[in-house]
Amino acid sequence: MSILIKLSTTLRDMVPGYEPETGLSVSLKDGESSITAGELASRIGIPLEEIKIVMINSRQSELASVVADGDRVAYFPAVGGG
Amino acid sequence: MNKLPDTHILLEKLAPFLHEGRGGTGVGREGIRLLSEETGMSERVVMTELLSRNLWPERFSRCRGVFSAGALARLLSTRILVAGCGGLGGHAAALLARMGAGGLVLCDPDSFEESNLNRQLFCTEKAIGRPKAEVCREGVLSIASYMDVEAHVTALDENTLPGFLKNVDFVMDCLDSVARKKMLEEQAKKAGVPCVQGSVARNEGLTLFDSSFALPFSKVYPEEVSGNTEGAAMNTHVLTVAGTAALMVSLLMRKLCMGRNDGGKLFHLDLSVPELETLSFSL
Repeated sequence: MSILIKLSTTLRDMVPGYEPETGLSVSLKDGESSITAGELASRIGIPLEEIKIVMINSRQSELASVVADGDRVAYFPAVGGG
Repeated sequence: MNKLPDTHILLEKLAPFLHEGRGGTGVGREGIRLLSEETGMSERVVMTELLSRNLWPERFSRCRGVFSAGALARLLSTRILVAGCGGLGGHAAALLARMGAGGLVLCDPDSFEESNLNRQLFCTEKAIGRPKAEVCREGVLSIASYMDVEAHVTALDENTLPGFLKNVDFVMDCLDSVARKKMLEEQAKKAGVPCVQGSVARNEGLTLFDSSFALPFSKVYPEEVSGNTEGAAMNTHVLTVAGTAALMVSLLMRKLCMGRNDGGKLFHLDLSVPELETLSFSL
């Protein structure tokens, strides 16, 4: 099992080789039972101040929300273009 | 005379202007113009009256079976403020004109620039240097000359918005920063005008619409958002803009035609995959 991470717009620039179609799969470390959305973002190199929306399994969450194995986590920056 | 004659007399009068096509008869625009001249009613009101008798204007004949005559008549009586006439706003205005909106109030303080050519519907090489709102008005009227369309080369802020929100039924938020979108949402709530919101960057668009005035955009962005929300980070192209504008108009149509409230839903269009996902947030 692993956690599927999806990144939006400019956040994709921060993870070299990120593929929008597949997203990014991250496995919990040995002995690790849980992780927060914020810790997960830091692990892949996304500065927390760039994240404005967090969705866990398509529901709005927070950086402090706990992510479980098998979850899908989406991070969005501010999207304000018209 | 300010009402249409009985239907059998009406059909005799309209005979030279009737089009037989897929699924029924459509009344050509020359016939609608004739009725307008004879009755003193506007062409828009004539079309609404015809629809009440299930007589469809030919221009909307291909919408038969998609929308009801009543839904189209409601749209013809609807006046919509389009806040921003650039990428989203230009496409939204054109889509609303084709769908059958009765009136638009178009606001944008800017003029077209060469860098707008990649995505803004009414930006042509000839239009560069001209005010977006005015060019957009001309474009909309070239699609639907019966519409009541105002153009204002004006910035929308706390001072100007209350006036523009007075006589409209909906507002389309096509502004270009999170801070301005929050401001528009608050002003629309004060005025009691439901706000359809859209935003774009790169290959992605986000739309939401909550007609219960729960300030959904502020729920999605609870913290103050500043910094990297304008400029190159928001670069995008016509496919993202056109797709997102179509989503915005479809949310409006769902409300107007079917009474649907999409509160608590954030629609995320990602053309790089491509996919459309429905996300949930708490109101």
